Amino acid sequence: MKNKIIGFLAGIICGLFGAGGGMILVPAFSMIDKIDEKEARATSIFCILPLVIVSFIAYFKNQYIDWNIGIKSAIGGIVGGIIGSILLKKLNNQILNILFVIFLIYVSIRMVI
Amino acid sequence: MEIIFGFISGIVSALGMGGGTILILLLTLFMGIEQHVSQATNLIFFIPTSITAIIMNIRNKKINWKLSKSIIIYGCLGAVIGSIIATRLETTILKKIFGIFLLIISFFQIYEIYTSYTKNKKTNNKDIKNK
Repeated sequence: MKNKIIGFLAGIICGLFGAGGGMILVPAFSMIDKIDEKEARATSIFCILPLVIVSFIAYFKNQYIDWNIGIKSAIGGIVGGIIGSILLKKLNNQILNILFVIFLIYVSIRMVI
Repeated sequence: MEIIFGFISGIVSALGMGGGTILILLLTLFMGIEQHVSQATNLIFFIPTSITAIIMNIRNKKINWKLSKSIIIYGCLGAVIGSIIATRLETTILKKIFGIFLLIISFFQIYEIYTSYTKNKKTNNKDIKNK
């Protein structure tokens, strides 16, 4: 039952914002299902892919897809993903996390106001 | 410019900190792209980048299949509802809700950083005492 609610919630977030499913699933998996972090991340990416495809169909039908921006970003994303996974072994995660949060708070306030 | 933003988001995703939200923010705030279109762009962005990660995770046997099943079934149901709501919302309202969501996420992140910090401190103190 718990997992059904978690899944449903992640789906709503994914469809509503086009992102953020992982921010629900990863902490939920590690806190509620008690699985280790690597497995939680791996399982969350696998689960989100079908949710993204479902959401994509709805956005596509409503003509919100801009292929030019989409493909360019995806190309950058693939290269960045490879470099990021190499950097992962060398960087201090705590400092990065703090910088990330500061950035998030700044932009979210800008968005709400 | 889109390639650079994609690149940054790819790095952030690989580090496991929500690259998707970063991409949406960069596109809307710095390029003035409409909120719905930015969100849709992130959906496109996610598909190729996640497939490579999924293949690697399957090889390393890191995916919990039993857990995935119910998450995917109910997740798809949620995604249909969520995306229909999103397509019916006005841009300005969607942007505000997105901002509120990010604020909530930020507070969770601060809490997480704080707990991992205090945990590290405790284990460090124990190490010192043991010596």
